Amino acid sequence: MQFSYELKDSYAEVKSSGRLNMVAAPKLRELVSEVVAGGNSRIVVNLEETVFMDSSGLGALIGCLKAARQAGGDLRISGVQPQVKMVLELTNMDRVLAAYDSPEVAFSND
Amino acid sequence: MSSSLEMRRAVVIEDDPDIRGLLVRILAKQGFEVSEAGRGYDGIELVRSTGAALVTLDLNLPDIDGLEVCKLLREFSDAFIIMLTARVEEIDRLTGLDSGADDYINKPFSPREIQARINALFRRAAAPLASTGGLQLAAQDDLARAAEVQQSLLPQESVNLDDYEVAGRFRPSRSVGGDFYDWYPTRDGLHLTFADAMGKGMGAALIAATVRAVMRSEAGRADIDTAFEAASRSIEADLGQSGSFVTLFHARLDAVTGKVSYVDAGHGLALHLPANGDVRRLRSAGPPVGAWVGRWPSAELLLAPGDSLVVVSDGVLDAFGNVEEFTSRVEAAVRSQTSAEEACEAILRLAPADMAEDDVTAVVVRRTDAIGT
Repeated sequence: MQFSYELKDSYAEVKSSGRLNMVAAPKLRELVSEVVAGGNSRIVVNLEETVFMDSSGLGALIGCLKAARQAGGDLRISGVQPQVKMVLELTNMDRVLAAYDSPEVAFSND
Repeated sequence: MSSSLEMRRAVVIEDDPDIRGLLVRILAKQGFEVSEAGRGYDGIELVRSTGAALVTLDLNLPDIDGLEVCKLLREFSDAFIIMLTARVEEIDRLTGLDSGADDYINKPFSPREIQARINALFRRAAAPLASTGGLQLAAQDDLARAAEVQQSLLPQESVNLDDYEVAGRFRPSRSVGGDFYDWYPTRDGLHLTFADAMGKGMGAALIAATVRAVMRSEAGRADIDTAFEAASRSIEADLGQSGSFVTLFHARLDAVTGKVSYVDAGHGLALHLPANGDVRRLRSAGPPVGAWVGRWPSAELLLAPGDSLVVVSDGVLDAFGNVEEFTSRVEAAVRSQTSAEEACEAILRLAPADMAEDDVTAVVVRRTDAIGT
């Protein structure tokens, strides 16, 4: 699992690839809190290359979403793959974690 | 820790290919079956999949700090960990840290030094209450006791309910796990709770035990919605800042009518299998408890003679690519068996222990066929 981020005009894009599980989850939380602490609270997590997410991974996304909102921003996700989509739907969290086709459109309406 | 000498497995985590090759040769010569990784995360997965008894760990890895690898390994493994570093001055600092490693060796090292250290580690473990080995055994003892406690919290006796069979099976991925189920008889029939706490291991197990107690404490409320609302508020308060959550399925059975009232908080893996007719997956009404502010309205179904209510954990789902396949395979497994007990066994076989990374749990409530009894 690898994470990277890039600052765009109106948001920060966090890329996550591989398996978002118990091992990777703390790393994502750490990276996003760094990004938020750096003054960027509008965040898109690009999940295009995330092939698997377990409950710990979902927990990390929720934690990051809370952190972003607390800082006055929001966290949105893009490029959601089938297994991740399934986990979001089963847990009803698809209503909270808004999914977009691409990082560019995630914040395009506000 | 694997104590059987004939199956000793070791993992070498080292990014320098020369040193890695050397370590592999040394360990193989000592009778280990050796796997190797050049990166930290790959190494962690190897230790998990092989159940290694020994790990040599380089402090400087390309993807993640060696100390972090050690911490992550300790979440699931009791393997002996020997940490290697090229910086002599690091050793003093490391020894003072509670890093989770069992020994430290500085590079360059001689093959004989490594051999001697490994022998010493395994000798200490074999002699109970010797310094480090004794502590390890004590920790293992704690874990074994925790596993016993967790097993004892599962419903022990079978339910004595005319025309119903109730069975459950739980297989944690480690000594203890975050899945659990509970049931108890009530005046009208039965209460059933099925939960899956985020994560694995001891942390998840502690949350599971709390949820069990909270759900039981609200059992006296006449109305399932009021009971669940009160319980979820308590659980949310308990989870507090832990950043964790729990998926929950809670049901109340009225034995005479077969009416089942249920609440599903982010679980989504309960199935109603009618004796005649299509399987129906019960959708969750709200998010997992503790994950997000939610409302969880209850729903109802009728369990007719010959019908089954089946609740399964996501450890089984992981064995399949999607919910549709999961549903049809679980349905087939249950329909191929005549008793609730056997149905649970058949469901667990869908996620073989050597494949499943997560806890695997199944509960089956079956209303016996009036004609068959």
